[in-house]
Amino acid sequence: MYRHKAVLRFNGNKFRDYVKGTPRNYSMIVMFTALAPQRQCMICRHASDEYHIVSSSFRHSQGYSKKLYFAMVDFDEGSDVFQMMKLSTAPIFMHFPPKGKPQRADTMDISRVGVAAEEIAKWIADRTDIQIHVIRPPNYLGTVAAIILFGLVAGFLYLRRNNLDFLYNKTMWGMTSLFFCFTMISGQMWNHIRGPPFLHQGPNGQIAYIHGSSQGQFVVETYIIMILNAAVVIGMILLTEAARGKRDPNKTKIMAVTGLILVSVFFSLLLSIFRTKTQGYPYRLLFN
Amino acid sequence: MSQTYTKKSSISKLNSKAGISSLLIFVILLLAWIAGFSSRLFAVIRFESIIHEFDPWFNYRATAYMVKHGFYNFLNWFDERAWYPLGRIVGGTVYPGLMITSGSIHYLLHLLHINVHIRDICVFLAPVFSGLTSISTYYLTKELWSKGAGLFAACFIAIVPGYISRSVAGSYDNEGIAIFALQFTYFLWIKSVKTGSVFWAVASALSYFYMVSAWGGYVFIINLIPLHVFVLLLMGRFSNRLFTSYTTFYILGLIMSMQIPFVGFQPIRTSEHMAASGVFALMFAVATLKYLQSMMSKSEFKSLVIYGGLIAAGIVFGTVVLLTYAGFIAPWSGRFYSLWDTGYAKIHIPIIASVSEHQPTTWFAFFFDLHVLVATFPAGLWYCIKNINDERVFVVLYALSAVYFAGVMVRLMLTLTPVVCILSGIAFSGLLELFLRDDEIAKPEESGDEEHTTPKNRKYDKVGRVPKMKHELNKEPDGIGPNIRTIISVVILLLLMLFAVHCTWVTSNAYSSPSIVLASYSGDGTRQILDDFREAYFWLSQNTADEARVMSWWDYGYQIAGMANRTTLVDNNTWNNSHIALVGKAMSSNESAAYTIMTALDVDYVLVIFGGVIGYSGDDINKFLWMVRIAEGEHPKDIKESNYFTEQGEFRIDGEGSPTLLNCLMYKLSYYRFGELKLDYRTPAGYDRTRNAVIGNKDFQLTYLEEAYTTEHWLVRIYRVKKPDEFNRPRIPVANRLVKSPNFVSKKSTKRKRGTLKNKPVIVKGKRLSSKQS
Repeated sequence: MYRHKAVLRFNGNKFRDYVKGTPRNYSMIVMFTALAPQRQCMICRHASDEYHIVSSSFRHSQGYSKKLYFAMVDFDEGSDVFQMMKLSTAPIFMHFPPKGKPQRADTMDISRVGVAAEEIAKWIADRTDIQIHVIRPPNYLGTVAAIILFGLVAGFLYLRRNNLDFLYNKTMWGMTSLFFCFTMISGQMWNHIRGPPFLHQGPNGQIAYIHGSSQGQFVVETYIIMILNAAVVIGMILLTEAARGKRDPNKTKIMAVTGLILVSVFFSLLLSIFRTKTQGYPYRLLFN
Repeated sequence: MSQTYTKKSSISKLNSKAGISSLLIFVILLLAWIAGFSSRLFAVIRFESIIHEFDPWFNYRATAYMVKHGFYNFLNWFDERAWYPLGRIVGGTVYPGLMITSGSIHYLLHLLHINVHIRDICVFLAPVFSGLTSISTYYLTKELWSKGAGLFAACFIAIVPGYISRSVAGSYDNEGIAIFALQFTYFLWIKSVKTGSVFWAVASALSYFYMVSAWGGYVFIINLIPLHVFVLLLMGRFSNRLFTSYTTFYILGLIMSMQIPFVGFQPIRTSEHMAASGVFALMFAVATLKYLQSMMSKSEFKSLVIYGGLIAAGIVFGTVVLLTYAGFIAPWSGRFYSLWDTGYAKIHIPIIASVSEHQPTTWFAFFFDLHVLVATFPAGLWYCIKNINDERVFVVLYALSAVYFAGVMVRLMLTLTPVVCILSGIAFSGLLELFLRDDEIAKPEESGDEEHTTPKNRKYDKVGRVPKMKHELNKEPDGIGPNIRTIISVVILLLLMLFAVHCTWVTSNAYSSPSIVLASYSGDGTRQILDDFREAYFWLSQNTADEARVMSWWDYGYQIAGMANRTTLVDNNTWNNSHIALVGKAMSSNESAAYTIMTALDVDYVLVIFGGVIGYSGDDINKFLWMVRIAEGEHPKDIKESNYFTEQGEFRIDGEGSPTLLNCLMYKLSYYRFGELKLDYRTPAGYDRTRNAVIGNKDFQLTYLEEAYTTEHWLVRIYRVKKPDEFNRPRIPVANRLVKSPNFVSKKSTKRKRGTLKNKPVIVKGKRLSSKQS
């Protein structure tokens, strides 16, 4: 077999030769995929990257042996294989044991465990007893980005070294902190960790912006909440500034009324969204 | 004469003004205390004076042990009733502050011959401390902003659900007293930064010591205060006051925190504490530079700062890295690390991820716990930044770090709550200070409000009155007409009233169930108490041998130890993951494999929680996947999570469910004899109300265990593990027997039980005389 490549590319004939012929003295892991750009399979590309990480980890590991080979079949190169295996989706990871036919568990359940390289390695260890320690090529992207950012900031500061007043600009710092607070209290961290859908589209085409239960939220919902919170805060600040009033009376009056409307209307909206998510919550302000 | 008289009268007027204002402050704080205390009593009034949930049961047990055996025996206590067969060194693995606090209150009361049971002290400790928390919040906010803001903050924190959730009566946990210690430490720290006196710094170190003894969250303080100092240094706000207070605080705090056995040498050996010592070194470097600056020329000084700074920073950084590498400094612990790398716990530590408190926070939870405060505290933050000074830097940093941590973990909402109260207090007092300035307009509306609202609301009006006195002098015509002024004040007060009723509603509905005793409401509003947990634990304590070992999932370990006083295998102190995984493996294996594990662990009884009869969702079947996951982490060969799902990847308990699930020990123990039970006319037999399905495996017998006790509503089921000698071996069908028996036909029947011997005369009863009878 080929020795120089970590993942072998098979077409119909090779697949029949190397995979379907049993018994063999090696296990075969095959990824069925569709990488051609016109197929528009985003997850295939991602799965393929992870798969290559696993195979190259195995290729360069201590436990490298001839008992296990990695292969892939692209739909556009071997559509007959897809027909033969009765596959209609991609990507699919299958294990072909040395003897016998693949069982149910020989197809990796990617809908449940995902396609991360660690999960693939775990599944392979499960099926073949070959432990693969996944070594990811170190991700320099983060480091490089950090260095570039740091350099930019340092360069910026150096260029403006004669005029560092903006560092003492309280409004800028205030805006930044407020934005950070709004990000956190609107649950962006939850979005970051859980990855909810942007919004929900029901079977009849109706669109839900607000998640019905108190346990979940949609991305767009959190943006709405962020805006509502920000509006209430702006209203509070306007009210206070108006009452300090050292400007002309008309302007002050407008500020006060705007602030009042912002606070009452947007807080009521916030409360009514909260009500839709809580069963039996009795209190409301302006809206139902 | 007249001159002196007017002078005197003005002095007395001033005195009386100050007197009234301090009387008001006193009354308001007292009312806040009372309101906070009484709104935490829902659970006691509805149920009874009882310790709640899980962890409080351990704290209570430890406190009772300390009261009974004395403090030194408590420190040396080796608890052989937990983590069988390993045991647990309790004295060295708890934060003893809570036990010492309630123990000394108990001691004092008994000294005064007030005989209160230690349980009642434990139950009411957290509500009492909530009053102290609001007082220290008042002082902290007063230092940061003004008295009016302080009163607002004190009233907010007295009733805010984010804090009530951890301090209702009966929830006897570290957090109950730790939030007080936290706020008080911060107050003393601010005070010491402001004055630069050693006295306040020592006081803040002492308060920090109390915090260390009470809660693991002290790490937050020992990182936040150095951060404050560091940012002040960056802002060029170095002063001798800061130098005195930080160095005093750090050294004393370090030495005192190491006196707690559980903390030990951690403050000098773990990465969590390194920031504090780094800032300590930096402080000296800056102080030295400041000193040298006065002696050198400008250009000399500049080069010294650049090279000296670079070299010093390199040396410090290198030392820390080297020490970490050599193993003298432990790297960050997993729980701490998961705060930064948010995906870390999910992948590496399932036992952390399995706890619902460790999940990230939705916006809903923020609003639920803080209501109007969450939407207004950024305004307070804005004004703090706009009018920055040394101590406001602190509250800004506190707010920003706490809001981040609260976003990552629901549980840390608790640390966010105090700072939100402070900042909202600043925002609201800033607003009402300006709008209630006009006495004639504000008064009628106030007095009208006072009559028909709860004591909580009354306070908000009064708060507005306090700062009025300061601002009465600079009265000037303004652009807002009196009508708009009134409307705005009414709207603001309306918001505050909504906040008060929201807090009461949330406290009553969400945070006041003891979770030991459940209540269900039927259609006509009558209440039914489900006391199954205590029924089962009482049964255990009365009907089992004293040294019996009970296996259950770790959630119930503390309760079994606390209420039934029996030995448990695993409990809520989840220090040994592999032991928990072993129990999880037993629960998720089939009966015979589980029996091997159970005999290896000397298990006598197995306890499972089953909610299918009453529709209780927190039962063991719903937690079951976590048992499988944790077991799989340690025993990947034997337990595979995918086996417990159907082919479509669903977790089902009905006939479609995976056979592995339908035959595992947990399933069998939960549903044993459940197939015969018909709950009502509409549903078929064996209908599980929690999961709304008919169970898939109905008629089965248990081979290795027998049912020992099931509570009234089947909530707790206890099984006895059979001993090998009393063991009923399953009957092997004749066809499968390896050793075929000869053609012997037994003559046994129901009538003749004694058996026969071949070719022997039959003994006739009653013929022989017995010599013993005479």
